Amino acid sequence: MEWWQNFLPLNYERVGVWASVICTFAIYSILYRENPFYRFFEHLFIGLGAGYSLGPVLTEALYRCWYLPLWKEGYWAWAPVVPFGLYLYFIYSERYGWMSRLVIGLLIGANAGLFFQEFASRQLPQLNSTLSKPLWITSENFDITDGQVLKWVPLVLNNWIFIIFLLAVLTYFTFSFEHRGPVKRVATVGRWFLMIGLGAMFGNTVMARMALLIGRIHYLLSNWLGIPVGGG
Amino acid sequence: MMEQQTIWHRLLMIDRRILYLILFVNIIIFLLIPVKVPTVTSPPVRKFYDTIEQLQPGDIVMVSSNWSAGTIGENRPQLEAVIRHLMRKKVRFTVISFDPQARDISFRFISRVTQEGGYQYGKDWAHFGFLPALVAGIKGMVKDIPATIKQDIKGTPIAQLPVMQGVKTLADYKMVIDITPAGTVAAWIAYRPKDLIVLFCPTSVMAAEAYTFLDSGQVAGMLTGAIGAQEYEQLLQQEGLGTPFAKAISFSHALIILFIILGNIALFMSRRAQGG
Amino acid sequence: MWQIEVGTTTGKVYVTLIVLAFLALFLGFIPVMQALPPRGRRALIALITFFAGLVFAAEFFLPVDKKGENWLSPAIDPAQNTLQIIGAMALALGTYGLIRLHLRNIVQQRSQWGYSVVLIVAFLTMGFFSVWKTLAEKGELRQTEFLQKGFTLLFDNMLVPLEATMFSLIAFYIFSAAYRAFRIRSIEASILMFTAMMVMIGIVSLGNIISYSWLGLPIEQTAEMEQNPFSLRNIGYNLALPRIAYWILQALNAPVQRAIEFGVGIAGLAMAIRLWLSLERGIT
Repeated sequence: MEWWQNFLPLNYERVGVWASVICTFAIYSILYRENPFYRFFEHLFIGLGAGYSLGPVLTEALYRCWYLPLWKEGYWAWAPVVPFGLYLYFIYSERYGWMSRLVIGLLIGANAGLFFQEFASRQLPQLNSTLSKPLWITSENFDITDGQVLKWVPLVLNNWIFIIFLLAVLTYFTFSFEHRGPVKRVATVGRWFLMIGLGAMFGNTVMARMALLIGRIHYLLSNWLGIPVGGG
Repeated sequence: MMEQQTIWHRLLMIDRRILYLILFVNIIIFLLIPVKVPTVTSPPVRKFYDTIEQLQPGDIVMVSSNWSAGTIGENRPQLEAVIRHLMRKKVRFTVISFDPQARDISFRFISRVTQEGGYQYGKDWAHFGFLPALVAGIKGMVKDIPATIKQDIKGTPIAQLPVMQGVKTLADYKMVIDITPAGTVAAWIAYRPKDLIVLFCPTSVMAAEAYTFLDSGQVAGMLTGAIGAQEYEQLLQQEGLGTPFAKAISFSHALIILFIILGNIALFMSRRAQGG
Repeated sequence: MWQIEVGTTTGKVYVTLIVLAFLALFLGFIPVMQALPPRGRRALIALITFFAGLVFAAEFFLPVDKKGENWLSPAIDPAQNTLQIIGAMALALGTYGLIRLHLRNIVQQRSQWGYSVVLIVAFLTMGFFSVWKTLAEKGELRQTEFLQKGFTLLFDNMLVPLEATMFSLIAFYIFSAAYRAFRIRSIEASILMFTAMMVMIGIVSLGNIISYSWLGLPIEQTAEMEQNPFSLRNIGYNLALPRIAYWILQALNAPVQRAIEFGVGIAGLAMAIRLWLSLERGIT
């Protein structure tokens, strides 16, 4: 009796849980076949998502970055920014649509200007890391004062594999000249190595998607049906 | 021979809705069955844990929570485990979101977890709300956080928050923990102050790409999806959502591999039957 | 000079008038800019693009003092604030386009316009609660129980499960696609499949069960094993499925991803320069 009382939507919280469950099963109904129930909730989802974004995007961001400096602190130089940004909404007009490119140009220009720092901070340390991988066991590269040389062999082997894979895949991606002879063979091997990376990504992707589904099922079992779901 | 052909052909032509049902039932079974699975901590998770263990009480950490409801199954276990660890180390933390939905989702989940740990909003932690431009936001915080963020999620000026005492720029932070389904970590790596440590909690989709950052040391540690959260919970000796999720993921993987092999065998046998 | 006293009503009125004046000015600019020939329009767009990028590029390249700043560093804060405002308006553009499309469906009573009504009603309801809640958090409006319960129902109990469920559908499709389409047809497909399977088994507990519980391989590496990497025990330790999966990710996958990073980085740099200098046709 108690389980039924906790299960049925008899209070605000349970109404919420039942709303979640109905939404979940409505979306899962597409797995059986296309139906109006699914379409209704699909459009509901899009409407809710679009409506929600008005809060953080328009209200919080504009409130914090434009309204506060202007109306609370009095920095009037911020006044032209939103009127200028309104040009973006001419994008659907055939006659005035080009004016939206003024704003888009500003965004593109700013992000392009920022990219130099990104290249320096993101790619150059990786280049440095690649070039500083030790490929030989010497006293300069490793601490071999204790005479234990063998323990560094796996690391050096891995570094060689790293460099070979990197160069092979880079050769595959070089499209500036035609691949012929030995270069073509290296590029082919690079393609095989690329498949290893893609296979690893696929394995991880499967795990990611399964986790999302498991999260939903976990909610149905624990929050809706009240069945305890533990580790082991 | 005709009957054998039919069986293999039937297997190849199986209705996909039966496949969906098999997957659904598999997950329910292995969520409910209490199976003890041995866990070994992978090196990226161990590095993640050890990096947070080096924090001292009173240090401040930035949590960049950029995930929305679509990846709740992977990012929520990560977020909750990380917050519990930060509370255990008695460090201050602030949260920022560069995704609109992430703002409310992270605030709600972190509020629940911090209540368990006795953390007070404003004094021990704060949420900076949502900023639309990621790169510009990070660059701004490197220079001046109160001028960039201005107010927290509740409208309190940043400089007035007790948690922000003695903190003006990102350089005052010890680390940033990026919990995200997108490529925001590249921006943190590219635009952060030089000594700011980056820890990464991606969904599994993004994890493979991040190994290059782990190799170069640009990312100090990583939790890969729900599996990473499970390993991390084992290190914390706390059971969260990662543990039951990881169990069910294992057996769903077994199911997929079984069916991939079955599909290839069915194709091979049906071709052989046709040829023979 | 740049600040007006807004503590008084007069100050607020001044600020409002300045905003309206700029709005009128930008609206007034429209016929002036419309009169520009196409070359003039392209030049104007290119100018704005260039100067927007110049601030950030120059600030990065110019020499810095001991504090790590140069004379352009104070410009970063207003520049990033401008990007936040424009970025927010750009994000809202997507919403604007969506609502415009569905309103048109309703007005013109196109096929399945009933669903567009559902969308618009959901948008207006959620938008109302979302904006109210955000302003209430800032102290501009009142927080009420109706707001909290309404927002919780719409956000926590409808939007979140709908989105989570939408994304979880992919799991079913991946399973079905893996069964139907994952075939050993070529060397590349075989390598991809084998790697994916090794990673899928190795990174989850299944790999632990097979390697440690069934096969009894060593779980930890001792100092002795480390010093003698070719010993049987150490080989056994490294043949465990979790170790193989990690080695694939760290030793084989990482260089591949780095090669992709280098390629993307160099291409990105070239593209950034072309976009900054408006050399790329059809973008701006």
